[in-house]
Amino acid sequence: MIMALHPDEKSALVKDLEAIVGPRAVLSSPYDLMLYEYDASIDRSRPDVVVFPASTAEVSAIVKVANRRGVPFVARGAGTGLSGGAVPLQGGIVIAFQRMNRILSIDYANLRAVVQPGVVNLHLSNAMTPNGFYYVPDPSSQKSCTIGGNVGENSGGPHTLIYGVTTNHVLGLEVVLPDGEVIEVGGPTLDTPGYDLTGLLVGSEGTLGIVTSITVRIVHQPETVKTLVGIFNTVDDASNTVSGIVESGIIPAALEMMDQIILQAVEAYIHAGYPLDAAAVLLIEVEGLRDTVDEQVNQIVAVCNANHAREVRIAKDEQERQLLWRGRKEAFGAVGRISHEFYVQDGVVPRTKLPVVLDRVNAICDHYGLRVGNVFHAGDGNLHPLILFDSQVPGEVEKVRQAGMEILQACAEAGGSITGEHGVGMEKSEAMPLIFSEDDLAVMLRVRETFNPQNLCNPGKIFPTPGRCADIKLVIGQERSPAYTQAEAEGAWH
Amino acid sequence: MSGTTLANKLHRVAPQAEILTGASDLSAFALDGIQPQAAALPGTVEDVAAIVKFAAEQHLAVLPCGGGTELGLGQPPLRYDLALCTARLNALLEHEAADLTCSAQAGITLADLQQRLTAKGQFLALDPPNAQRATIGGILAANSSGPGRLRYGAARDLVIGLKVVLGDGTIARSGGKVVKNVAGYDLNKLYVGSLGTLGVIVEANFKLLPLPEREETLLIGFDNAEAAMQYVVALLSGVVTPNALELLDHATQQQLAQSLQSALPGAPYLLAVSFSGGGKAVERQMSDTRATASRAGGAPGARLEAEAQQAFWEGVRAQQTAPLTCKVSLLIQDVAPFLKSAQVICEEQHLEASALAHAGSGLVYLHMRPTDAAERLAEAIGLLRAWAVNHKGTLVIARAPTDLKKRVSVWGDTRAEQRLMQLLKHQFDPQGALAAGRFLGGI
Repeated sequence: MIMALHPDEKSALVKDLEAIVGPRAVLSSPYDLMLYEYDASIDRSRPDVVVFPASTAEVSAIVKVANRRGVPFVARGAGTGLSGGAVPLQGGIVIAFQRMNRILSIDYANLRAVVQPGVVNLHLSNAMTPNGFYYVPDPSSQKSCTIGGNVGENSGGPHTLIYGVTTNHVLGLEVVLPDGEVIEVGGPTLDTPGYDLTGLLVGSEGTLGIVTSITVRIVHQPETVKTLVGIFNTVDDASNTVSGIVESGIIPAALEMMDQIILQAVEAYIHAGYPLDAAAVLLIEVEGLRDTVDEQVNQIVAVCNANHAREVRIAKDEQERQLLWRGRKEAFGAVGRISHEFYVQDGVVPRTKLPVVLDRVNAICDHYGLRVGNVFHAGDGNLHPLILFDSQVPGEVEKVRQAGMEILQACAEAGGSITGEHGVGMEKSEAMPLIFSEDDLAVMLRVRETFNPQNLCNPGKIFPTPGRCADIKLVIGQERSPAYTQAEAEGAWH
Repeated sequence: MSGTTLANKLHRVAPQAEILTGASDLSAFALDGIQPQAAALPGTVEDVAAIVKFAAEQHLAVLPCGGGTELGLGQPPLRYDLALCTARLNALLEHEAADLTCSAQAGITLADLQQRLTAKGQFLALDPPNAQRATIGGILAANSSGPGRLRYGAARDLVIGLKVVLGDGTIARSGGKVVKNVAGYDLNKLYVGSLGTLGVIVEANFKLLPLPEREETLLIGFDNAEAAMQYVVALLSGVVTPNALELLDHATQQQLAQSLQSALPGAPYLLAVSFSGGGKAVERQMSDTRATASRAGGAPGARLEAEAQQAFWEGVRAQQTAPLTCKVSLLIQDVAPFLKSAQVICEEQHLEASALAHAGSGLVYLHMRPTDAAERLAEAIGLLRAWAVNHKGTLVIARAPTDLKKRVSVWGDTRAEQRLMQLLKHQFDPQGALAAGRFLGGI
């Protein structure tokens, strides 16, 4: 897919970019570029050049150069994305936002903050801690991921169950369009007249433009927070507890599940105090007024017990709470200690379908002889199966991709989605036909055509390869049917 | 094409649609002085698609509508041949209570939907005016909202999936049925608030909430808007989580008291604060608010519950609309200064004004009278809009007599993004069949 630039073209491009940002803010040696060929997904592709703009005007000028030279370009925050959103599939320019990392304003009275895209998610909340405010979306990578990247992917996080994901907290954007024009959409006030282009741009995975300034909603911290750990001997009991809590009328601030493989990995790394022999734990958080939180904690403990919890622990202090959360948020990293590589999926299913779909995920991975750990946002049915593998074993990567695709098919069949918060990116683009018709996808392509007619802005993402649209369902069906029939699979579930 | 010929052709393309051509039937669909040649009430999504496709091919202008409660919003239509009313598409398709989601056809009224959801102890957290008549399709298309958006968000935050018939008859889905979903572009956001100019919403999926155990409202009187708004900012900077913070000026209180047939405290400004949740949570927040309000110069008065509370909020929502209403979107801290300026501007133009604000969201609904003083109204609206725009806000005329709408832009000035909006309109509705000329910048 990559058509590396001719050396002459490349040196001319580098010169053009250096004229905009200065020579120190352009990288072009193979050694330097290697760092920018991947994000946290399994896809790789090397850019021809990486550039670090310091202002909106510089971003616009870079994009105009790219257009003049017909070179693709991709925006990059911290590179923590899990779907290859920042991977330059067709080479070209990576526009990295490390230098545009300032919090431009925090307006407590009006509940707004304005940030540059390179601001690290957690830094914004930390800046507001002394005043008792925070920014809600908290992806697990929040210590390093940027808000610009969060906007690109419409990132979620454990605490989005009640309060929503990035799109529910972004009110306005300054955007460099794929032709270099700078526009503003939305703003600090609500219901800006016209189409909600802010809502459209959030989660467009960098394919409709590059965000250079972001206006977000901020909120006051709750009075108190309590964190519970429910320990279960079966995954089913844990899943039923999730539904039971929601049915009881409580929507916790966070409701996360980790299974045994994940618990073992986390404990080896963080020592957070999770049990090693449990089939699953639920990490549950409730927040709000002191009076009600206690009441809700009691109700949740009762639901856990009714679903055969072996034990329910309540974090006794902030230190223990932070440790439990560190275990959860660094789970992906911890898995690195038990497997060289892992592949994470991001399917979503209706909460009540969790037990069935989790069984099926395990059956699929068993079938391919792959180990899988599950750590996920159970409250909103957002699965994160981590398939462990070793790319040095011949054929293993293909097995992993195939298993991943079957998991997405299981999610789609359960009435869900192929991605809840990581984005479609490269590797899931071929799964889009599982949930969208050709017409649905064609309408989305009309939108891309409107914003990005040259398709130089993050090409190769979201949409399936033309012509393969109709084939994909067939391929999955055929691949699976000889060795792995529905009856066998069902046999494995019960 | 005569009405009858049109009706015959429509019958052929959409056999199950009900077609109205009688003058008395059609008068109900008249808008800004224009009466369509026919009104179609399709019974299936396929009928909707067939009618829109036919209309596009015949270069007929279609106006999608639901209960008609928000038809006052928008520029007068450039052309209007056919009303496409979703009233017969009124089924609740699914209510997965355990998943806190539902799926409904666009023509179901909000009241009907809520009633059915209540049966399973849940609700859709949207509270625009006119729930008895407003359909969910219309609410989404007009981005209609109410006081509760402070806590629960607006339509854009609660819709998880849509099925839409585009201007060329294509049936397209966006989003899905799960509460968290980033697959593909979030076209839901594009359709919400697009006033039917991109497509006809035919089905919608929502996320729901469990009905709260308890809900109560505290009415607090203030001597002036500044003090009331200072208190609003203080509440939002604290640990309480009100559903709504509604500010009513004196004139609005009088109208509301009349409609409720009961007296209100009668302070210059009234702040209504509502809380919901568990019993203890409500109790604690009510008592905290009572105490802090007194310290902030407010006079906490009646505590409303049950039917009285319901009637109060229904009345408040009704005060969002009047024959001439401007919806002004502001930063929270600009609400009080705006109200003061509005008073001065309206006095100068010899206009009577009343105002209601979703104070915690920075949204002011300003009503002006007399509605036939077109010149003075145009002058006042121009000044008010300039004030809002100078303070990073916007002013939209939510409802006005047709001649005023021809004099003053309903939506205000466009920005550089208009070019993209125009291109999007062309992609979604290439023939310009839908709601011609009703939207921002003449879209």
